[in-house]
Amino acid sequence: MSAPGPVDVGLQIERTTLSWRRTGLAVAIGSLVAMRLLPELLGGLAWAIPGGVGVLASLWMWWMSRRRHRAFVERAAASGTPRIGGAAPLFAIAVGTTLIGLFGLGLTTLVR
Amino acid sequence: MRGRVALHPIETGHHNHSHPYYDVMVPPENAPDRRFPQAVFARGTEPDARFSLANERTFLAWTRTSLALIAGGVALEALGLDLQPQLRLAASLVLIVVGALLPVAAWVAWAHTERALREGRHLPHPPVGAVLAITLTVAGVLVLLAVLLR
Repeated sequence: MSAPGPVDVGLQIERTTLSWRRTGLAVAIGSLVAMRLLPELLGGLAWAIPGGVGVLASLWMWWMSRRRHRAFVERAAASGTPRIGGAAPLFAIAVGTTLIGLFGLGLTTLVR
Repeated sequence: MRGRVALHPIETGHHNHSHPYYDVMVPPENAPDRRFPQAVFARGTEPDARFSLANERTFLAWTRTSLALIAGGVALEALGLDLQPQLRLAASLVLIVVGALLPVAAWVAWAHTERALREGRHLPHPPVGAVLAITLTVAGVLVLLAVLLR
Protein backbone atom coordinates (compact mmCIF):
# COMPACT_ATOMS: atom_id res chain seq x y z
CA MET A 1 0.00 0.00 0.00
CA SER A 2 1.47 3.35 -0.95
CA ALA A 3 1.51 6.28 1.41
CA PRO A 4 -0.98 9.04 0.72
CA GLY A 5 0.28 12.14 -1.05
CA PRO A 6 0.53 15.46 0.68
CA VAL A 7 -2.92 16.82 1.46
CA ASP A 8 -1.74 19.73 3.56
CA VAL A 9 1.15 21.58 1.99
CA GLY A 10 2.62 23.91 4.59
CA LEU A 11 1.08 21.96 7.48
CA GLN A 12 -1.73 24.49 7.60
CA ILE A 13 -4.09 22.33 9.62
CA GLU A 14 -1.37 21.53 12.15
CA ARG A 15 -0.60 25.22 12.56
CA THR A 16 -4.29 25.94 12.98
CA THR A 17 -4.67 23.18 15.58
CA LEU A 18 -1.71 24.57 17.51
CA SER A 19 -3.30 28.03 17.32
CA TRP A 20 -6.48 26.59 18.86
CA ARG A 21 -4.41 25.02 21.61
CA ARG A 22 -2.50 28.23 22.35
CA THR A 23 -5.85 29.99 22.70
CA GLY A 24 -7.16 27.22 24.95
CA LEU A 25 -4.04 27.41 27.11
CA ALA A 26 -4.46 31.18 27.41
CA VAL A 27 -8.01 30.62 28.67
CA ALA A 28 -6.83 27.91 31.08
CA ILE A 29 -4.03 30.05 32.52
CA GLY A 30 -6.35 33.05 32.89
CA SER A 31 -8.91 30.84 34.63
CA LEU A 32 -6.36 29.42 37.06
CA VAL A 33 -5.07 32.91 37.88
CA ALA A 34 -8.68 34.01 38.41
CA MET A 35 -9.22 31.12 40.83
CA ARG A 36 -6.17 32.35 42.72
CA LEU A 37 -7.28 36.02 42.88
CA LEU A 38 -11.05 35.80 43.13
CA PRO A 39 -11.39 34.34 46.68
CA GLU A 40 -10.23 37.73 48.00
CA LEU A 41 -12.85 39.58 45.94
CA LEU A 42 -15.89 37.27 45.95
CA GLY A 43 -17.40 35.60 48.96
CA GLY A 44 -18.65 32.05 49.44
CA LEU A 45 -17.94 29.64 46.64
CA ALA A 46 -18.81 32.12 43.89
CA TRP A 47 -15.12 32.63 43.22
CA ALA A 48 -14.81 29.08 41.89
CA ILE A 49 -17.45 29.45 39.19
CA PRO A 50 -15.65 31.70 36.64
CA GLY A 51 -12.39 29.80 36.93
CA GLY A 52 -14.16 26.45 36.71
CA VAL A 53 -16.12 27.49 33.63
CA GLY A 54 -12.89 28.78 32.06
CA VAL A 55 -11.05 25.51 32.66
CA LEU A 56 -13.96 23.58 31.15
CA ALA A 57 -13.94 25.95 28.17
CA SER A 58 -10.24 25.36 27.62
CA LEU A 59 -10.79 21.60 27.71
CA TRP A 60 -13.61 22.01 25.14
CA MET A 61 -11.25 23.99 22.92
CA TRP A 62 -8.64 21.26 23.14
CA TRP A 63 -11.23 18.64 22.18
CA MET A 64 -12.66 20.82 19.42
CA SER A 65 -9.21 21.43 17.89
CA ARG A 66 -8.63 17.68 17.74
CA ARG A 67 -12.05 17.04 16.25
CA ARG A 68 -11.64 19.69 13.54
CA HIS A 69 -8.14 18.48 12.75
CA ARG A 70 -9.32 14.89 12.27
CA ALA A 71 -12.34 15.90 10.22
CA PHE A 72 -10.17 18.03 7.93
CA VAL A 73 -7.51 15.36 7.41
CA GLU A 74 -10.03 12.58 6.87
CA ARG A 75 -11.99 14.57 4.34
CA ALA A 76 -8.80 15.60 2.55
CA ALA A 77 -7.59 12.03 2.45
CA ALA A 78 -10.89 10.62 1.29
CA SER A 79 -11.96 13.17 -1.27
CA GLY A 80 -8.84 15.16 -2.11
CA THR A 81 -10.79 18.39 -1.60
CA PRO A 82 -10.15 19.57 1.94
CA ARG A 83 -12.33 22.25 3.43
CA ILE A 84 -12.73 23.84 6.83
CA GLY A 85 -15.50 22.94 9.24
CA GLY A 86 -18.37 25.24 10.15
CA ALA A 87 -17.66 28.33 12.22
CA ALA A 88 -20.05 27.72 15.13
CA PRO A 89 -17.08 27.03 17.47
CA LEU A 90 -15.49 30.30 16.38
CA PHE A 91 -18.74 32.11 17.11
CA ALA A 92 -18.89 30.45 20.54
CA ILE A 93 -15.33 31.58 21.25
CA ALA A 94 -16.18 35.15 20.26
CA VAL A 95 -19.25 35.17 22.52
CA GLY A 96 -17.33 33.53 25.38
CA THR A 97 -14.46 35.99 25.18
CA THR A 98 -16.87 38.90 25.18
CA LEU A 99 -18.54 37.45 28.29
CA ILE A 100 -15.12 37.15 29.94
CA GLY A 101 -14.60 40.83 29.17
CA LEU A 102 -17.97 41.79 30.64
CA PHE A 103 -17.19 39.74 33.75
CA GLY A 104 -13.87 41.54 34.07
CA LEU A 105 -15.64 44.86 33.64
CA GLY A 106 -18.11 44.01 36.40
CA LEU A 107 -15.30 42.82 38.63
CA THR A 108 -13.32 46.01 38.15
CA THR A 109 -16.19 48.46 38.56
CA LEU A 110 -18.48 46.75 41.08
CA VAL A 111 -16.22 44.65 43.32
CA ARG A 112 -13.61 47.11 44.52
CA MET B 1 -16.63 4.24 11.33
CA ARG B 2 -13.52 6.30 11.69
CA GLY B 3 -14.50 9.80 10.68
CA ARG B 4 -17.17 12.10 12.02
CA VAL B 5 -17.40 13.86 8.69
CA ALA B 6 -19.05 10.76 7.32
CA LEU B 7 -22.46 10.81 5.78
CA HIS B 8 -24.72 7.84 5.49
CA PRO B 9 -24.23 5.94 2.20
CA ILE B 10 -27.82 6.64 1.27
CA GLU B 11 -26.78 10.26 0.81
CA THR B 12 -24.98 9.14 -2.36
CA GLY B 13 -21.51 9.59 -0.99
CA HIS B 14 -18.82 7.22 -2.20
CA HIS B 15 -16.13 5.10 -0.61
CA ASN B 16 -12.56 5.85 -1.55
CA HIS B 17 -10.97 2.40 -1.37
CA SER B 18 -7.61 3.64 -2.64
CA HIS B 19 -6.72 5.19 0.66
CA PRO B 20 -6.18 4.03 4.26
CA TYR B 21 -9.07 6.28 5.24
CA TYR B 22 -11.36 4.38 2.89
CA ASP B 23 -13.95 3.90 5.60
CA VAL B 24 -14.74 7.61 5.60
CA MET B 25 -17.73 8.55 3.52
CA VAL B 26 -17.27 11.66 1.46
CA PRO B 27 -20.32 13.79 0.73
CA PRO B 28 -20.94 14.36 -2.95
CA GLU B 29 -19.63 17.58 -4.42
CA ASN B 30 -23.13 18.91 -5.03
CA ALA B 31 -24.36 18.21 -1.50
CA PRO B 32 -25.95 21.27 0.14
CA ASP B 33 -23.52 23.16 2.32
CA ARG B 34 -25.11 23.55 5.75
CA ARG B 35 -22.11 24.94 7.59
CA PHE B 36 -22.64 27.86 9.99
CA PRO B 37 -22.98 30.71 9.20
CA GLN B 38 -24.98 30.39 6.02
CA ALA B 39 -24.41 34.10 5.32
CA VAL B 40 -20.84 33.03 4.55
CA PHE B 41 -20.93 29.43 3.40
CA ALA B 42 -23.98 29.73 1.14
CA ARG B 43 -22.08 32.14 -1.09
CA GLY B 44 -19.45 31.65 -3.76
CA THR B 45 -17.33 28.55 -4.17
CA GLU B 46 -15.03 26.61 -1.90
CA PRO B 47 -11.67 28.44 -1.71
CA ASP B 48 -8.25 26.88 -1.16
CA ALA B 49 -8.60 25.48 2.36
CA ARG B 50 -5.17 26.82 3.31
CA PHE B 51 -6.46 30.37 3.00
CA SER B 52 -9.52 29.56 5.11
CA LEU B 53 -7.29 28.02 7.76
CA ALA B 54 -5.10 31.14 7.76
CA ASN B 55 -8.27 33.20 8.24
CA GLU B 56 -9.23 30.97 11.18
CA ARG B 57 -5.78 31.41 12.77
CA THR B 58 -6.11 35.18 12.43
CA PHE B 59 -9.42 35.04 14.27
CA LEU B 60 -7.83 32.98 17.05
CA ALA B 61 -4.90 35.40 17.27
CA TRP B 62 -7.33 38.30 17.75
CA THR B 63 -9.06 36.26 20.45
CA ARG B 64 -5.78 35.83 22.31
CA THR B 65 -5.11 39.56 21.94
CA SER B 66 -8.53 40.23 23.44
CA LEU B 67 -7.81 37.89 26.36
CA ALA B 68 -4.49 39.66 26.97
CA LEU B 69 -6.19 43.08 27.04
CA ILE B 70 -8.85 41.86 29.47
CA ALA B 71 -6.28 40.16 31.72
CA GLY B 72 -4.08 43.26 31.69
CA GLY B 73 -7.00 45.54 32.51
CA VAL B 74 -8.25 43.38 35.38
CA ALA B 75 -4.73 42.87 36.75
CA LEU B 76 -4.10 46.62 36.76
CA GLU B 77 -6.90 47.07 39.31
CA ALA B 78 -6.88 43.71 41.08
CA LEU B 79 -3.21 43.86 41.98
CA GLY B 80 -3.65 47.25 43.68
CA LEU B 81 -0.56 48.81 42.17
CA ASP B 82 0.72 52.03 43.70
CA LEU B 83 -0.54 54.35 40.96
CA GLN B 84 -2.82 57.38 40.81
CA PRO B 85 -6.20 55.64 41.43
CA GLN B 86 -8.43 57.44 38.90
CA LEU B 87 -5.94 57.17 36.06
CA ARG B 88 -5.26 53.55 36.92
CA LEU B 89 -8.98 52.80 36.80
CA ALA B 90 -9.33 54.67 33.48
CA ALA B 91 -6.50 52.64 31.91
CA SER B 92 -8.02 49.46 33.25
CA LEU B 93 -11.45 50.27 31.81
CA VAL B 94 -10.02 51.21 28.41
CA LEU B 95 -8.23 47.85 28.17
CA ILE B 96 -11.21 45.79 29.36
CA VAL B 97 -13.86 47.52 27.23
CA VAL B 98 -11.80 47.20 24.05
CA GLY B 99 -10.87 43.63 25.03
CA ALA B 100 -14.57 42.79 25.35
CA LEU B 101 -15.46 44.35 21.99
CA LEU B 102 -12.51 42.92 20.07
CA PRO B 103 -13.95 39.38 19.69
CA VAL B 104 -17.04 40.85 18.01
CA ALA B 105 -14.83 42.74 15.57
CA ALA B 106 -12.73 39.60 15.04
CA TRP B 107 -15.84 37.56 14.21
CA VAL B 108 -17.07 40.17 11.72
CA ALA B 109 -13.59 40.38 10.16
CA TRP B 110 -13.45 36.58 9.88
CA ALA B 111 -16.85 36.48 8.15
CA HIS B 112 -15.99 39.28 5.70
CA THR B 113 -12.65 37.72 4.84
CA GLU B 114 -14.10 34.23 4.37
CA ARG B 115 -16.85 35.62 2.16
CA ALA B 116 -14.30 37.53 0.09
CA LEU B 117 -12.27 34.33 -0.31
CA ARG B 118 -15.34 32.42 -1.46
CA GLU B 119 -16.35 35.12 -3.93
CA GLY B 120 -12.86 35.69 -5.28
CA ARG B 121 -12.78 39.32 -4.22
CA HIS B 122 -9.94 41.36 -2.76
CA LEU B 123 -9.55 40.74 0.95
CA PRO B 124 -11.05 43.45 3.18
CA HIS B 125 -8.83 45.46 5.48
CA PRO B 126 -10.71 45.64 8.80
CA PRO B 127 -9.81 48.59 11.05
CA VAL B 128 -9.26 46.47 14.18
CA GLY B 129 -5.48 46.92 13.94
CA ALA B 130 -5.83 50.69 14.14
CA VAL B 131 -8.26 50.37 17.05
CA LEU B 132 -5.76 48.19 18.90
CA ALA B 133 -2.92 50.66 18.28
CA ILE B 134 -5.00 53.58 19.57
CA THR B 135 -6.15 51.57 22.60
CA LEU B 136 -2.64 50.59 23.60
CA THR B 137 -1.39 54.14 23.14
CA VAL B 138 -4.19 55.60 25.27
CA ALA B 139 -3.76 52.96 27.98
CA GLY B 140 0.01 53.45 27.95
CA VAL B 141 -0.29 57.23 28.34
CA LEU B 142 -2.80 56.79 31.18
CA VAL B 143 -0.50 54.37 33.02
CA LEU B 144 2.45 56.71 32.49
CA LEU B 145 0.48 59.63 33.95
CA ALA B 146 -0.68 57.39 36.79
CA VAL B 147 2.96 56.62 37.60
CA LEU B 148 4.04 60.25 37.40
CA LEU B 149 1.11 61.65 39.42
CA ARG B 150 0.87 59.04 42.18
